[in-house]
This record gives sequence, structure tokens and C-alpha cells, in this order.
Amino acid sequence: MAEKKKKSEPEYIFVEFNTPRKYRWSTGPYVGKMYHEARMNKKLYANQCPKCKKMLWEPQVVCGRCKVETGWKWKELPQRGTVMQYTFIVYPMWDPHYGEKFANPLPNAMIEMDDGTVIRHFLEETDEKKLKEGMRVEAVWKENEEDRGEGTADIKFFRTIDK
Amino acid sequence: MANRVAIVGVGQTNHASNRKDVTQAEMINEAVRAALIDAGLKMKDVEAVFTSNMETFEGIYLPDHGASAELGMIGKPGFKVATGGTSGASVICEGFYMVSSGMFDITMVVGFEKQDSGDTTAAITAATTPVWGKGAVTGAIGEFAKQALSYMNSTGATEEHASLVRLKADRAACRNPHAHLRLGLSSTDEVMNSGYLVWPLKMLDFCPQSCGACAIILATGKKAKKITNKPVWLVDAETVHQEAFRAGTFGDPTGTETYTQHVACENLYKRNGITNPRKQIHLAELYEPSSWEEMNLYEHFHLAEPNQGWKLVEEGVTDIDGELPVNMSGGVLSTNPIGATPTIRVAEAALQIRGDAGDRQAHRDVDVALASALGGPNWTVLFLLKRFT
Repeated sequence: MAEKKKKSEPEYIFVEFNTPRKYRWSTGPYVGKMYHEARMNKKLYANQCPKCKKMLWEPQVVCGRCKVETGWKWKELPQRGTVMQYTFIVYPMWDPHYGEKFANPLPNAMIEMDDGTVIRHFLEETDEKKLKEGMRVEAVWKENEEDRGEGTADIKFFRTIDK
Repeated sequence: MANRVAIVGVGQTNHASNRKDVTQAEMINEAVRAALIDAGLKMKDVEAVFTSNMETFEGIYLPDHGASAELGMIGKPGFKVATGGTSGASVICEGFYMVSSGMFDITMVVGFEKQDSGDTTAAITAATTPVWGKGAVTGAIGEFAKQALSYMNSTGATEEHASLVRLKADRAACRNPHAHLRLGLSSTDEVMNSGYLVWPLKMLDFCPQSCGACAIILATGKKAKKITNKPVWLVDAETVHQEAFRAGTFGDPTGTETYTQHVACENLYKRNGITNPRKQIHLAELYEPSSWEEMNLYEHFHLAEPNQGWKLVEEGVTDIDGELPVNMSGGVLSTNPIGATPTIRVAEAALQIRGDAGDRQAHRDVDVALASALGGPNWTVLFLLKRFT
């Protein structure tokens, strides 16, 4: 009797990619204006819906809820706000954009600015016992202009303030 | 007048962390065959095939092109839909709209994901440019972590309540031969001690990455009666999108980001005469990526009063012998092949109405069921299923 042919085992095919990714994302005029103000003047700018008057963050060409074109009406946002929600990474995660595994030591927060606009950023405070919803914070910008140019990432973090 | 649509067959794989034994296409074929057997149909009977998957999760663009033979779609109309976490529900909407419109009498919808191929959180994080997302690196987990904190602070629920949700899911999964994680957890301590991923979410508070596929065959009511003696009405479908996350999360205290759940419920309940969802809906299969989200969803879908969702778990209302069993499949906490995850919700709800859910069959009679999906920046899809009459 002929020997039965051994069935080959299923395998994973593993491929290692080491080509740098080259993507370019255009800002368009609205986000472009926001980037420009952050870089040149360390200011946060958002545009406003002409109908519901809501500040649109990030700035955009239409108000999704009102379904109207927003136009070119800009307002500077305050740089102080209140922490609405926060969390911090305990278990390190893979960052696909930068190709590294790390746990960002800074807590990630939703911050309600003093005009009601909510933005997503990081907190300087890393002591878990001092973190709480409702804490008051203020933007701390990267000092050198050449380090800026990444929109809200031009703000280093939000620092705890008294009021 | 739109055609009424019925589910005439469902099929799913045995979901698992790894499926080295098959290619993605072969895995999909398992679900397609199971659904055809369940319906007693041949592929030639199916007029159009629609599929869903999270593009790039497996590291390849156009994953369906390699599976068109195994999907049975060669020479037939059909295409793939990709709407993030809701993909597996959007594909049911497609099949539903097509049959409802009268374009086709019988369609098949197939959701699939093979997450042993690559890094899911990497793909999710790529939903935004690096500049917007720089350093956040938490994918969906960080968003649900912030939600958990808000839920705790606004409702008085504790981490123990989230653990109770996780225990319920595991008990259910252990009764479901298709479920991925069947851990046999015996106490909340095991969940409480599972270690934080992103505070305050613990390892066991969050859904796994699974490999799996699920197929559903839809037909007009007229055809359904000829095909099977146990069809289930897919009465209605509602899908609602909103803007990208400007700022806000799933548990946003301002309510901005839970907009789609409110709109989807309002539309679905109004069209179907549901004025008291807690009584009129007998069972639900909800898309709960975290144990906290299940309690949130009870409230958002009006199955519990605001800030009272956790009480349903505490009182056992949503357990197998409760008055409103939720996620008797083990839910997303136990099984999460993303492109198929919402498809499984509807398939499981249909099995419960048929009385074919085996050991995981709810103890109460189930005539009406709700199934939900969640994805992207809190987009919502809802389905209403009813006993065939």
C-alpha cells in the first residue's frame, strides 16, 4: 500500500514592512486658518455657524446639523477651560502612525473651554489623585515657532490653574 | 408599498482569536454554507450578495475581491459596504432595502473579519490624521474609558456594576458554542483584578479581537413562507450618522455625541408604535464594546430610565431568566469579529425569536427583539425583529 501523503500544515505568512509611509493631508482653508493662527500667534480659532451660532471645532465649511455653509466668521477661543472627562493609558499601545509602542504619560482629556467649545487634549498633571472632572486648566504652548505647525499639537498640554 | 422582509436563514462560524487553519475567504465560506443549510437554499436561489468588512484591518485593501467565489457572488449583483464598526449592520440595511424595494426577492448579507492578520487598534487610530490624533493612541479603548468615568460620576454606578455586566456576558458565552471568549468566570473579583488597560477600563471590561463571519439570508414575506417554516420578520432598520468626533466621546456629558442613538430610537420607535420600549421589546442584542457601554445603551435606547441602567444589571432584569434578556449570545464582550459583529447581533436575535438559541435561549417568550450596532464617531444602526405571523 502506498504511503499516504502527509497533509501540509496551515501556516501564517509573515511579511515585515519597513518602507516609510509618505502621506500628505491637506488642511483646506478652514483647518488651514486654525493651523496658521496656532503657529503664528499661539491662538485657537474656530468658525461659527451663521444659523445655530455654534462654534465649530475643528473649523469646517458646513454646519452638519443646520446643513448650511458656514462662511468666514471666526472667533478666538479662550485658552482656559474645565476638564469634562479624562483617562490615562496603563497598558502600552501600538502607535501605527509613528511605529512605536508606548504609553503616553500624559492623561488624555476632553476640555470644555470657557466659551463652551470642547476640545481634546492632554493634561500636564500625572498624579492620579489630583485628577478630577471639573478641574480648571490653561493651555501651555510650545515656545519656539519652528516647533509649532501641527494645529492643536502646538499646545504642549493643559496646566492646572486655580480658577 | 414596500415589501415586508423576513430573515429566512442565518449562519456563523465558531469565532476564535486565531484561525490559522483557514484563509479569510475559507472562513467566510463557512458562514455562507451554514446560512444556506439553515434556509434550505442553494446559492443559485440567492439573487444578490452584499458584504461588509473593516477595510485595512487585515492589511489589505479590497478584502472582498479575494473571496468573491467563497461568497457565492460571481455573476451576481452585490458589493461591499464599509462604515466602520457598523459595517456588519449597514450590510443588513443594504440587503433589507433591496428586498424591501422589490429589486430582489432573496438576498444574502455577509459580515466578516479575520483579526489574527493584523493590528486592529492600529487601523482604528488611522481613522484620523496623525496630527489630530498624535499621541492619543488609544483607538476606541480611550473613548470608552472616558465614557466609563463619566458614567460612574453621573449615575453612581461602580466598577463592580461593570464587572456584573462582564460576568453576565461570560455566563451567556459559555452557553453559546459560537462564542469566542468562554472564560468560565465565577466572581466579580476576577474581572476587578484583570488589570487596567486604559483607566478605568480593565482588560475584561473591553471586547476581544476575534476571527469570524456571519451570513443572513433575507427574503420577501411571500417567498419566506415557501422557503422555511421558521422565518422571522425583519420589521424595520434605521441608520443614523453624525459628524466626525469634533470633541466628545461616547459618554459625553453634553449629550452631543449620543445624538444618533436618540434620533435612531425616535425614528424606529415612532414608525413601529413603540411607546413603552421596556415592555414592548422582549429581548435585545446590543453592540457593547465595553461593559460600561451596555449600561449606557440601556438608557440611550429607553430600556431604562436615565442614570438607572446599572440597576437592570444589579436586579438581573437583563439576564437569561430576566424580563428583558440582553446579549444572550455573550455579546461583543465575548465575540468581536468587527465586520461581522453587528450581523451576529441580528442573527442571534432571530434565533431567539425562532426558539432555536439552544442553551442560550431566553427563558421568557420572545416575540419582539431589538438589535443595535455602533461604530465610527458613535454612529447608530437599529433593527426591530418580530415573530412571523
